[in-house]
Amino acid sequence: MPFPTPVPTIAARDPAPAPQRGFDRRSFLKAAGFTFAGTVLAGCEKGAVEKAIPFLVKPEEVTPGTATWYASTCGGCSAGCGILIKNRDGRPIKIEGNPAHPLSKGGLCATGQAMVLSLYDSRRLREPRISGQTAAWDAVDRTIAAKLAETRDGAKGVRILTGSGAGATTLAAIRSFSAAFPDTRHVVYEPLSIAALADAHEQCYGRRIVPHYRFDRASVIVSFDADFLGTWISPVEFTSDYRAGRSPEGPSRAMSHHVQIESRMSLTGSNADARIVVRPDSMVGLLGGLAYYVAKETGAGPAVFASPAAPSPRTASGSPDAEDAMNLLPLLARRLAAAGRKGLVVCGVNGIACQALAASINDMLGNAGVTVELERPTSSRTDNDRETQDLLAELDAGTIGMLVVHGVNPVYDHPRGGVFSAAMKKAGLTVVFAQHEDETAEHADIILPKGHPLEEWDDAEPVAGVVSVRQPAIAPFGNSRSLAECLLAWTGERTGAREAIRRAWKSAVFPRQNAEADFETFWNASVHEGYAVVDPVPSGHHSFDASVVPQLPAGDRKNPGAGADSSSGEGFMIEMYPTVALLDGRHAHNPWLQELPDPVTKVVWDNYASVSPRTGKRLAVEEGDVIRIETGVHILELPAVIQPGQHDDVISVALGYGRKGTDRFTSVGPEWFEAVPTVEPGETVGRNMAPMREIRGNYVSSYRGGVSVTRTGRVRTIASTQIHHSLHVPEHLAPKNAERRPIVQETSLAAYTESPGAGRFETHKVVSMWPDEHRFTKHRWFMSIDLTACTGCSACVVGCQAENNIPVVGKDEVYRNRELTWLRIDRYYTEEEDGVSVAHQPMLCQHCEHAPCETVCPVLATVHSEEGLNQQVYNRCVGTRYCSNNCPYKVRRFNWFDYSRGDDMGRLVLNPDVVVRERGIMEKCSFCVQRIQEGKIRAKQEGRTVKDGEISPACEQSCPAQAIVFGDLNDPASRISASRKHPRFYRVLEEIGVEPSVGYLTLVRNLPEGDGRNG
Amino acid sequence: MGLNNRILSIFLGSGLLLCLTIFLTSYANNVRLPGNHEGYEPVQPISYSHRLHAGELQIPCLHCHSDAGRSRNAGIPTVETCMNCHRFVTAPIVDVKAEDQRAEKSGEKPRRIISAELKKLYDAAGMNPELRPDPGKTPQPVAWVKVHRLPDFAYFNHGAHVSAGVECQACHGAIETMERVRQVSDLSMGWCVNCHRGSNAQGVNGRAVAAPTDCTGCHF
Amino acid sequence: MGAMAERYSILRRPLISGDKNFDQVTREICAPLENKSSAAWWMTFAAALAMLAAGMIAVGYQLKTGIGTWGLNNTVGWAFDITNFVFWIGIGHAGTLISAILFLFNQKWRTSVNRSAEAMTLFAVMCAGLFPIIHMGRPWLAFWVIPYPNMRGPLWVNFRSPLVWDMFAIGTYFTVSLVFWYVGLIPDLATIRDRATSRIKRALTGFFSFGWDGSNITWLRYETIYLLLAGLATPLVVSVHTIVSWDFATSVIPGWHTTILPPYFVAGAVFSGFAMVLTLMLIVRKVLHFEDYITLHHIGAMSKIIIATGGMVALAYATEFFVALYSGNDYERFTFVNRALGPYAWAYWIMVGCNVAVPQFLWSKKVRSNVTMVFILSLLINVGMWFERFVIITISLTRDYLPASWADYSPTTIEIATLVGSFGLFFALFLLFARFLPMIAIGEVKGVLGYGKQPEGGRR
Repeated sequence: MPFPTPVPTIAARDPAPAPQRGFDRRSFLKAAGFTFAGTVLAGCEKGAVEKAIPFLVKPEEVTPGTATWYASTCGGCSAGCGILIKNRDGRPIKIEGNPAHPLSKGGLCATGQAMVLSLYDSRRLREPRISGQTAAWDAVDRTIAAKLAETRDGAKGVRILTGSGAGATTLAAIRSFSAAFPDTRHVVYEPLSIAALADAHEQCYGRRIVPHYRFDRASVIVSFDADFLGTWISPVEFTSDYRAGRSPEGPSRAMSHHVQIESRMSLTGSNADARIVVRPDSMVGLLGGLAYYVAKETGAGPAVFASPAAPSPRTASGSPDAEDAMNLLPLLARRLAAAGRKGLVVCGVNGIACQALAASINDMLGNAGVTVELERPTSSRTDNDRETQDLLAELDAGTIGMLVVHGVNPVYDHPRGGVFSAAMKKAGLTVVFAQHEDETAEHADIILPKGHPLEEWDDAEPVAGVVSVRQPAIAPFGNSRSLAECLLAWTGERTGAREAIRRAWKSAVFPRQNAEADFETFWNASVHEGYAVVDPVPSGHHSFDASVVPQLPAGDRKNPGAGADSSSGEGFMIEMYPTVALLDGRHAHNPWLQELPDPVTKVVWDNYASVSPRTGKRLAVEEGDVIRIETGVHILELPAVIQPGQHDDVISVALGYGRKGTDRFTSVGPEWFEAVPTVEPGETVGRNMAPMREIRGNYVSSYRGGVSVTRTGRVRTIASTQIHHSLHVPEHLAPKNAERRPIVQETSLAAYTESPGAGRFETHKVVSMWPDEHRFTKHRWFMSIDLTACTGCSACVVGCQAENNIPVVGKDEVYRNRELTWLRIDRYYTEEEDGVSVAHQPMLCQHCEHAPCETVCPVLATVHSEEGLNQQVYNRCVGTRYCSNNCPYKVRRFNWFDYSRGDDMGRLVLNPDVVVRERGIMEKCSFCVQRIQEGKIRAKQEGRTVKDGEISPACEQSCPAQAIVFGDLNDPASRISASRKHPRFYRVLEEIGVEPSVGYLTLVRNLPEGDGRNG
Repeated sequence: MGLNNRILSIFLGSGLLLCLTIFLTSYANNVRLPGNHEGYEPVQPISYSHRLHAGELQIPCLHCHSDAGRSRNAGIPTVETCMNCHRFVTAPIVDVKAEDQRAEKSGEKPRRIISAELKKLYDAAGMNPELRPDPGKTPQPVAWVKVHRLPDFAYFNHGAHVSAGVECQACHGAIETMERVRQVSDLSMGWCVNCHRGSNAQGVNGRAVAAPTDCTGCHF
Repeated sequence: MGAMAERYSILRRPLISGDKNFDQVTREICAPLENKSSAAWWMTFAAALAMLAAGMIAVGYQLKTGIGTWGLNNTVGWAFDITNFVFWIGIGHAGTLISAILFLFNQKWRTSVNRSAEAMTLFAVMCAGLFPIIHMGRPWLAFWVIPYPNMRGPLWVNFRSPLVWDMFAIGTYFTVSLVFWYVGLIPDLATIRDRATSRIKRALTGFFSFGWDGSNITWLRYETIYLLLAGLATPLVVSVHTIVSWDFATSVIPGWHTTILPPYFVAGAVFSGFAMVLTLMLIVRKVLHFEDYITLHHIGAMSKIIIATGGMVALAYATEFFVALYSGNDYERFTFVNRALGPYAWAYWIMVGCNVAVPQFLWSKKVRSNVTMVFILSLLINVGMWFERFVIITISLTRDYLPASWADYSPTTIEIATLVGSFGLFFALFLLFARFLPMIAIGEVKGVLGYGKQPEGGRR
């Protein structure tokens, strides 16, 4: 497997702008434009001399100016999606999902796509450090070897603390390491822990596994606070499966019914057909109740579930919501029972009782092997909260000789992080692998640079039987070594990471398949494909052990009253959740993700307290009002955001903020005298919520009760990309009999089955004044977006940003409504008597055939192409903004300032095929015209026509739900032609006659009769 | 006012007009708009002669600019590429012949002749006069001076043009006659577009082509 | 009554009061140019320069840093910039109207005000012309809006774009107004020349007055060309603001896309123009002691025009609101409800108050003949007309089709400073004009001295 060479210096149209090149042609032109004299002078001007420096010896797989692709495995989280890395001139510039990958199936989440930017983070650690001093590796090895010997003699322990998702190689290395140093234990710590899920299965099935859930096979999904489309276990895979199971078309109309039971408006909840809004501490009671009814319905389950007579917990708002929820349970149970093996209950609560109950319900439904795969578990998740606790105790007791922390940051994100940092000191030696000098690293004796996932060799087995390779797409910037490499080195064995992984595969993976007889071929195929499908390690027989149910803690299987544990009662509850962008905070140094609008609230660059509208009124709190949250232990102040669909008693705050070093973003955004810095110098982006989490029964719980909330009277700016959240105009401004604006057109599955046109807004006949203004003889590019499939996950937003060199503009600019992203996702709430429903609508340039922008541009900077594109010519634009004013969709974006694209290193991520726009220029979605041109040229060179699906804009490519279809309308066989004729097809604002080239498929919800969205 | 007065003014007026026309026409002839680098002929670090290689020796362009057929960039040959031949050819044939004769006369073994320009190449390759890797020297790629420069906002793809059958000379001029490469066309937008229009009408060497005339053919 | 009384006509009242003879007229009108400039002049001029300086700093900073220094955003692409542009163009209207149309209608009273009204037009159009240029993201490329042969294939301008039409319309308007004004100035320049004491002054005025010799033939030619120019200028009064209104009328944005805009804008322009003329004239009258030339009669006449045009504007407001509600188009309806009751209602009601309510006071003769009152009213109307443009341009943009892209707008210091600066420029130019050129057309005023007097008595 060839190593790509380090960044070569090809000067040829390197997009990195060099403003300090003083007197270059463009700045000269600027000056020249002012005066006639200037223009005349300019005639004699030659411009700065440019050098073109070729390779000395060209690596054979690199052709300057063309892209090379490497298959690999995403390192954004432990889900391990398959990715393809696009290299240009030896540097990775884009990450895309690997369409061949059996799990992620070509999609990739926002976080995964943003990983390419963090590769060029100039603040990453480059060199090993011993107590603050830069040191060479052999010095490090010597120190550690000495320490290890001492530890062994002193009969002290070695502990290796890593995140979950460690692959065969690392595990093998750890094994051989512990062979050399007996008292070694590998502790898996995951900040977003699902340990209880694993433990529950250990109790019920005798095997500590996390089952592999198959949402594509489910017909009824009941999710207890599991944000599986956003952040839970494997969002990309789940999104793609979820969508597969929710097609309102086809004879079967196999559209699953999804009920979300949660206390905040999660991304998953915003897509649910029905939401039941309850306090987090009512979950266990509800699960108990559901178990009871399901047992009754199926008769299969053990009759040990107490009949729930629901005395609901007294709540701050006095709304006996749990009771309402209880009344819905029989219906839910009936549905689940009817679905049987196709029913699925998932639970995101990190509590043993909840998980055991969920497991037992699934068992009663008999869905093992159908929607819940126990034989092929999610082997990447081996989180273990209990062991983390023990480690903490051991450290405290001082029995640990050496602590190795790899890729996790417990001091920051563990509820007892403070304790941890103190305890670390008591270990003989702490070695921390980190990308930045983060909260944990700063307490370490030895800091080792952790390679970026795009730099190092590694492997993973996300789901038993799917092993995937992670190969470097660029030589490491820093002087980093993988964990396996180090562990082996410390056992006195020097092997490169690549050798290590090959060896591990030869022994552990290769034997598990019989397709290939020869290891080399197997290995090369696997590296080329990025993954290999092998036999899962047989995990023995799983039979549900009914006896465990009675063993559940007495309180738990009883009713919600008892379910509400110690922490509940008076006052509010506070709930901490991971965001789609930053997760637990591991991506806090990535500006793309910091500026990615939250899929639900649309807020950027901050965390905040989500408050329900009713509570907001009660506390006289409006958006941006700073509220003080007191738990008795902690006091913190956060700006409020009014969140429809939020439980009245629950305040939700995002994790992952308040990371050390995020004050680096002070400089993000333009500099001018009225500008407000994105983050005040010395401060951090948002507040760290991890310490607010409680450890309840050995599990890190995401909520805490007995919280009091008061308003401080102070106000903090909240930068949100949307100021109006409904398709209705404000009541007091609504003209007589004003309709809901037909921008998102939606219907119910039942109605749609009745008539395909259901929910469609019938526009009057539009007569064109220019019947054939454009004849599209060659291609006719067109896009359609299925609103039923779109979950609002925002992967496309980051995909677009990466592809098209879109800079971040900073909090202040977003607050001023100057975000620069070409593709935005509009989110609309519809308040209904029984709750709130949410619609996500990706909005990008609609490439209108009769584009209002084109007629008004004085200089022809935006004109129509003969292929139906609405072209924006940056270098012709003089910036009157008339086009943007006249755009009904307001999808045009203006360069209000010269937005920085990061430091010299950050600019390495720029796509050389897309111009970097200067200040004063209008820009917008181009349908990724650079890809269209590339595809057409390729087709021409190969003497054929463009194949359908061959050209795919970044947004379509990245969509895990395949909601976006792009193609050539002149090709009758293309997917887009089919979509154009689809009964659900409509175009936004069709009635004003601009003839958009982007269409939408109506949003269909599966709402069986007698359903409620409560809350 | 009197008659002579009027005549005077007419006379002066026409005189002024004459001066203006002369000035303006002369200006219009050698006007050069900003960004037009036509005739740019920079001195290169190694005085490599296209006349010799492409002209006399008839080496096809794509032999060295091998990427031109498949990539955006024509690709400037690497030192490695040059060495393919110049590992053996170290000096003009005349000098070599001269040396041989001299050697014949004095009956001694002919020495290896290395021309001054090629020495620069060997230095770049980090080689000593015996063409052996010289530990004292670090290999350094040659920093050629870019001659044909398009602004950032104009996308040009060599591959597309070469595979469409466009002669290199169509844009680069009679390169095989140039000692030092010189920009012969003004590379203005009009120049590009007119060629595209022409090609769409007449085709390129008899082959019909679809040369884009949309803005996004080049600007994105 | 006394001996004087019977010499006056019973039908017409004289335009110029206080029985002047030609020499007196000349002396009085030329006084400001020949005496030392008063302290008042210096103070106002200094103030104007200060405002101008503020504006120049603001614009300089904006050019250096970017349009981002304005309060605009993705949704609201135009606000103060184009509001000011339309406002100033509107101001510019009265000049041509007075000089051309009133001239053709043979309204003698125009003679006392046309000179300064035309000057005002020129300066207003200069101010207006600035904004389309500085509002560009890359003003150094503003010349791309002008069609000229080029090496781009060639690449012309978009003749479908109202901004290009603007460029032509305003260009023409400015040129014609300038020529018209200058031609009217020639005889007076000659007068100054003849009275000039310093050599330079004589030389300059001599050059610019084209060797005017006051002979009958000269006067004849002069009056012919003046008549022709008046005819040429008349259509421009209508065309310019019609075309400006097309910037909005031809768009698709609710609140912009309205067929009523052209007449609406023209009426508004004349309305605001006359308000500004009044404002200036009342100052001039006081400061330069022209009470005899700019009499209550003139003020009354202009007030009446304001009542009339104000009425038209009010009608336009009513009509567009009615049509919006009647249209059955939800977007259109909302736009107007939002204007009246939405977050920017205050701006809307300032507009209605100043442009509909205020002019009604002028119905009373008492008010019309109270200079202070008229002055205040005229100021209020100027304010109201600025807000009219703000309401139409900005409020319509803040709330358009997709609720998700709605946004609010508030101006930055830079924008306010730029507006102030444009007033600075305007007043500075006007004060210089007042200092160096006759504010009132001497020649023409002399022509109407006899007006309203009985022939026998009137002759001198």
